[in-house]
Amino acid sequence: MSGANKYDMETTQYLIIGNSASGLAAAGAIRSEDKKGRITILTEEEQVNYSKPLITYYLAGKVDLEKTGFKDRDFYTSNNISLLTGTRVISIDVEGSHVVTGGGKKIKFGKLLIASGGKPVIPKIKMTGFSHKKRQGCSLMDSSNYSSIKGVFTLTTLEDAMKVRDYIEKNEIGSATILGGGLIGLKSAEAFLELGIKINIVELADRILAATFDSRASSIIENAIEARGSSIHKDNTIDEIFIRSGRISGYRLRDGIEKNCRLLIIAVGVNPDLSFIDKGLIRAGRGIKVDGRMQTSAPNIYASGDVIEGPDILLGQNRNIAIWPLAVGQGNVAGSNMAGREAHYQGGYFMNSVEILGIPSISMGMTNVDVDDGSSVEVKTEFRPERNQYKKIVIRDNRVIGIIMIGNIERAGIYSGLIKNRIDLSGMKENIFREDFGIIHLPSDYKKHLVVGEGIEV
Amino acid sequence: MKRIYINEEYCLGCRLCEIYCQVKHSKSKKMIKAFKKELSDVLPRVLVEEIGYNSFAIQCRHCADAPCVDACISGAMVKNENTGVVTCDEEKCVGCWSCIMVCPYGVIKRDLSSRKIASKCDLCEDEDIPVCVKNCPNEALKFGEIKDGGLTGSKKDVWSK
Repeated sequence: MSGANKYDMETTQYLIIGNSASGLAAAGAIRSEDKKGRITILTEEEQVNYSKPLITYYLAGKVDLEKTGFKDRDFYTSNNISLLTGTRVISIDVEGSHVVTGGGKKIKFGKLLIASGGKPVIPKIKMTGFSHKKRQGCSLMDSSNYSSIKGVFTLTTLEDAMKVRDYIEKNEIGSATILGGGLIGLKSAEAFLELGIKINIVELADRILAATFDSRASSIIENAIEARGSSIHKDNTIDEIFIRSGRISGYRLRDGIEKNCRLLIIAVGVNPDLSFIDKGLIRAGRGIKVDGRMQTSAPNIYASGDVIEGPDILLGQNRNIAIWPLAVGQGNVAGSNMAGREAHYQGGYFMNSVEILGIPSISMGMTNVDVDDGSSVEVKTEFRPERNQYKKIVIRDNRVIGIIMIGNIERAGIYSGLIKNRIDLSGMKENIFREDFGIIHLPSDYKKHLVVGEGIEV
Repeated sequence: MKRIYINEEYCLGCRLCEIYCQVKHSKSKKMIKAFKKELSDVLPRVLVEEIGYNSFAIQCRHCADAPCVDACISGAMVKNENTGVVTCDEEKCVGCWSCIMVCPYGVIKRDLSSRKIASKCDLCEDEDIPVCVKNCPNEALKFGEIKDGGLTGSKKDVWSK
């Protein structure tokens, strides 16, 4: 590699690290403000464009490879965006306003957006019988060696999904174990069940989808999964995995149960990808810290999406909420500000939609609040086990802060609007639990806002 | 850009808007045929809400900053840059229901009749006036454009102030 000097350093007005939801939303927002400024996007992946949440649909065979894109094919050309695939950033020179890539290339920027997303967490697990020559003597599986074990995968990129699909076909896999019953774990479960593959979910918490499910919500999905001959191991984890000729052959759970296993998906969580960030120059905790304009502590450097800590409007504090709608919203805000149009991010809260074995569910906000903590929290629930239907609404200080809808998800977004807009439901709380609940039952001002529209007199 | 505006004072709760919407989005497009054979498969994309004598019909508002477009993981839900109309490309939709999760109007439905896809108002883009507006007997739905704080459209489409 010849040493690039400052005279041949590539220069771009807007540089974006990350080619997914947030990065592309930002690129679109920049282009709608600035028709000419050069936009360059860097991604360490080889694919031109694909939607991360679609990878489990691809795995299940519901979406073809060429349909995993979420932007039109001509998005980059019509918006005059340069895309560099297979390009990993290894450091950012804040003072010199340039990044250095894994290939030694330097790219100078006017404004930089870090939308690098997250990387899967790999727990350290004891291994026995691992006889792969290169790794002899190694007794712990970790992030450095897990991918060399045949049958062990993460599932956060399209490449991961392609490998898993290939592995299933070549090895005629009939059952799989998923370590982690969170969002990625459940989306993986959804795909495997669609393929007719039995699953074992191993979850450390006392329920699946612990972020927004309560134990009853979890039990509905668990029962459906178990009725199909699959299993869920809660309050549990994998203590040891067994390896035969470089291939996973089984594992032992914390409670002592041993199982055969030829396919293990590690889905315990995702951490912001901060490996190339100097925390002394760009402030970061678990994720990069940003202001309401999505600007970092460094001038001309912005961050958005799964790599940041953003305001949780329900908790009243910043945290990493790695979900698609927020990543897009933050990208829009970041892009606008980068191009000079002032925009502010309003914050968000955790939300999730997942359908398992034909049972749809939407859950959001705070759904596991202790009613006896002295605050004015009210919880309403309705459970119809015979229909696999469950609804839970959590109200604090007359405002909805959490909702679980299972089986029937009709009009769930109305609750989302109530949470986001912090609508005071004083005197109308009974309404929101009606079976025919709709906009007509909402406080008159908010109802008028929704029905008539803002600033319209008719 | 023309939109559907709602006047709840005028709504009779007759649900003709729902019926005409269903027929419009049926295969046969013929009322009797649609109702005899297709009704169970065709969802109305406009929704009448009522309590007693109060009622109104609501459908997709085609929001300026549409949360359903931001939430869509497949690129199916898009806002047309020229017309501002939000539509769901049924070929691309994977039925993840993210749009249902975020639509504050609750006007996107699960269409389970063939593949699982999101169903919503397309503003009858191939018609001059959306069928729900055209067939509303009491002009509780209007199709027009907001200008100078008032609604303008063809004469018939304007509420007198």
